[in-house]
Amino acid sequence: MTPLKTVGHGTHRVDALQRVTGAAKYTSDIHLPGMLYARVLRSPHPHARIRKIDVSKAMALPGVKAILTHANCDITWSSGDQLNQRRLFNNPVRFAGDPVAAIAAVDRHVAEDATYLIEVDYEVLPFLTDVEEALKPGAVVIHEGGNLSLNNQRQPAPQTYKRGNVADGLKAADHVFEDNFTSAHHNNAQLEMRVSIAAWSGDKLTVHAATQGIANCRTDIARDLKLNVDNVRVISEYMGGGFGNKNQCQDSDLMAAMLAKQAGAPVKLEFTRKEDFVAVHGRWSSRQSYKAGVKNDGTLTAIQMTALTGAGAYRKGSCDLSGTEIYQVPNLETSVSPVYTNTAVAANYRAPAYPQGVFGIESLMDDVAYALKMDPVEFRLKNMTRKFRDQTPYTSIGLEDCIRRGAEKFEWKKRWKPEAGSGTGPVKRGAGMAMGMFGSGLGRSSAVVRLDGQGQYHLYVGVTDIGTAAKTTMGLIAAEELGVPLEKVTVVWGDTDTCPYSVGESGSRTTVQTGMAVIEAVRDLKKQIADKGTPQGTDVLTAMATTNPPPLQGASRNSFAAHFAEVEVNIETGHVIVTRFVSAHDSGRVVNPLTAQSQVQGGAIQGIGMALHEELLYDKRSGQPLNAGYYGARIMTHLDAPLVDVVWVETDEPYGPFGAKTLGEPTIIPTVAAVANAVYNAIGRRVKSLPITRDKILGVLA
Amino acid sequence: MRSFSNINPKDLKEAAGILRQKGQTATLVGGGSDALGMVKERLITPDVLVSLKTIRGLDRVTEKGGEVVIGGLITLDALSRDPLIRKNYNVLAEAAGHVGTPQIRNAGTLAGNVCQRPWCWYYRNGFPCYKNGGNTCFSITGENEFHAIFGGGPSFIVHPSDTAVALVALDAKFRIVGAAGERTISAADFFKLPAENPARENVLANDEVLAEIHLPAAKNAARSTYHKEMDREAWTHAVVSVAVVMEMDGQVCKSARVVLGGVAPIPWRVPKVEAMLAGKRITAELAAQAGSAAVEGARPLAKNQYKVPLTQAVVKQTIVTLGA
Repeated sequence: MTPLKTVGHGTHRVDALQRVTGAAKYTSDIHLPGMLYARVLRSPHPHARIRKIDVSKAMALPGVKAILTHANCDITWSSGDQLNQRRLFNNPVRFAGDPVAAIAAVDRHVAEDATYLIEVDYEVLPFLTDVEEALKPGAVVIHEGGNLSLNNQRQPAPQTYKRGNVADGLKAADHVFEDNFTSAHHNNAQLEMRVSIAAWSGDKLTVHAATQGIANCRTDIARDLKLNVDNVRVISEYMGGGFGNKNQCQDSDLMAAMLAKQAGAPVKLEFTRKEDFVAVHGRWSSRQSYKAGVKNDGTLTAIQMTALTGAGAYRKGSCDLSGTEIYQVPNLETSVSPVYTNTAVAANYRAPAYPQGVFGIESLMDDVAYALKMDPVEFRLKNMTRKFRDQTPYTSIGLEDCIRRGAEKFEWKKRWKPEAGSGTGPVKRGAGMAMGMFGSGLGRSSAVVRLDGQGQYHLYVGVTDIGTAAKTTMGLIAAEELGVPLEKVTVVWGDTDTCPYSVGESGSRTTVQTGMAVIEAVRDLKKQIADKGTPQGTDVLTAMATTNPPPLQGASRNSFAAHFAEVEVNIETGHVIVTRFVSAHDSGRVVNPLTAQSQVQGGAIQGIGMALHEELLYDKRSGQPLNAGYYGARIMTHLDAPLVDVVWVETDEPYGPFGAKTLGEPTIIPTVAAVANAVYNAIGRRVKSLPITRDKILGVLA
Repeated sequence: MRSFSNINPKDLKEAAGILRQKGQTATLVGGGSDALGMVKERLITPDVLVSLKTIRGLDRVTEKGGEVVIGGLITLDALSRDPLIRKNYNVLAEAAGHVGTPQIRNAGTLAGNVCQRPWCWYYRNGFPCYKNGGNTCFSITGENEFHAIFGGGPSFIVHPSDTAVALVALDAKFRIVGAAGERTISAADFFKLPAENPARENVLANDEVLAEIHLPAAKNAARSTYHKEMDREAWTHAVVSVAVVMEMDGQVCKSARVVLGGVAPIPWRVPKVEAMLAGKRITAELAAQAGSAAVEGARPLAKNQYKVPLTQAVVKQTIVTLGA
């Protein structure tokens, strides 16, 4: 790979100074003149029909300016449910936390007081917290059509994939392995809570939103409120993270807009931490069952996976499970059924379908390797994917190098114990690893670049930067293509009035898609400069590009990773700590190694939390969540986090901006399984349900 | 939060007087690290916050005639760093240093930590349990992973304070100031089992304030330590903890006090273990026996059985470490 001048060199974020000095204005920091503050009244019941709702006492409270309920605000929140089953205020309410009313008042305390004055007459309905209970005959029905949600083709059937014939593959096997694994609903837990500020000027609506994509947020708002998209402006200058939970538009955006309309004043709605855990969404839980056939020499002959996933009360995400595609196997069948329960909604969280699926398949494959007395690294090198679904060649694949170079950096041979649990104790060490992959498709996005008469370039991109340093990445790509230093490029972002469409920071697509648009815009600008010369004085040259490549034919573009974890487990106390971690990644060319490394480290630390700590726990008798928030969820602290070493496997990728592939989401994909496999290597027993907590460790050791 | 007024009394007697006033509910605030959260969650809805922050002289460690007196308003951080406490009462410094996070330790006070309400998730989520004025404990047939294995019934909360465990181990005395006068009682008598009053965790009357902690003169060759098992490396309450104070004569333990945290509604003293250690050389075998003895009589609920082997291991490992 040819080294480049700007891309590929560690560069501080263009907004680093603003962020660390507090000059950066996040949505929560914005105060508009005359602005009102809103609060949401939420259902205390997991499932209930609202017979009557009386807001008169609340409305009479001095300072209250507007109240919305299902009775006066019938709006479908389309990005809240893929099947359009979700209103802004639902009746019946389907989980403890489902919005019942929103109130705008002169300050947030008055608004909160008013929530206690709203009288709601509920007909309490039976409820479900468990996916298996939900599928039993006679179970209360949460949505028309039953508790088994439709598949992604809108059919009342599981989401399936099939190649070959699993029955034949299992017959051909020397050994057949069967096992079950479960993963828990856990929360994105990004630092910045859901916050929206809406202000109307005539027919025009401006929303300051904490969003991962201003363009998608804008079109969603326009669709749901039946506005002309040109009359909606979305601004998000600084973002405090989302990890998939601020894709599209949020119910808070719509509530703020409707409250502002009713009150005739700007409205800010900011959720509390507890609301952010219970009433937004987390990663869907799963119950996975596997069968796998393998030859004596370790060759896989078949894999079968069936799973139930926990959608929660609405169908906000795909609720699919991924992971089996990291293996080469001639016979594969998967079947995933999303199920409704009266619990918090599940949807996208960093690589939505992967870490929990990879936990299942990689735990099972680890068991297979041990049973065959094969080194887990060798087993993976033998069976790892070579072609997408064993059929389509990859545009580039560095998975083997990720495994080999990661193992070398980790000192796998030294740290891994051929006999699991063979340490002397009470503190036992163990090592585990796992692989992962993620799609890195090309696609549509836009960019505008302008050269002014003073020689400064202005790059307009509709990114918001959810922590990935997207603004800086776009600047680096432009500077590289222009052949100028980064300081010569001013990046403009985060406002639909000034910036063209960007794909939105979900699916880890911004670097590839918007980055490609930047390159194409710069090429056009360079051509104009060649034709017309550099602008002088007040003159400008402007170029714009919308990249919209056709889907790749006969090739699949993917990123790959292998993670390695070492843990210490005290077998008497069940205490676990991750002592060493190596993440090896093929994301093609790394645009900014400094911030890319932060991505990888953040993903690994989040994955360790998922592996060892996090679960949104429900009281089964009342349907109430018990541990919402940073304290209860046991989110990782700095003291829990190991140093994460990063190994870059920079494949020569022919497509995308300078050969860059997707990075943000793959960083968490193998982590959970690597930690679980390390715990197995340490103690010689396998914990098959996430999170791997102390009680489970002491349980399997008892 | 519901609106409230704030009063800064000039001394504890005035504070106690405000607590006594009829027709209003009042809440004492030391550092406010927990009280503010409870007010925001409407777990309590006081009319008046009685802030003790402006009362002078209650935030320090002093020696008085052999005794050491600690003001209840000392921050947990200052306590954990105090040279005298670190030298002679290490268990207390360690316990204070393991509370919460640096932010909480810099705001939170010793008295506030000792009087902290439980962190049972049913209580904290506003379930109508004994602690919230109801007449049931939801943990018994619910999610009781973190609940009591000793001393439970009718409430099965565990006492949340780290420093309380250390203070019982140190045989501290608590000076309590009330509107009608003051009294001093031993730390062990301060905490009360739910069988006596399931709504409360200690003997403080509604108009009383925990003013000072008195520690007995340090014994020669006493060593002490606090071990806290947590479900992450910071910012949680103890799953199980143990405070051990041993008076040593060479390698022989002359006397010991062993108190468990995270396992009972009060700091849970284990006299049988203390008796086992007295007059003996601390060996691995003895420590293992002590671990087994510590969990005798444990009555775990459905989901906290792991606390039994955990407590056993923590007691064993801590005694071995301290006795070595």
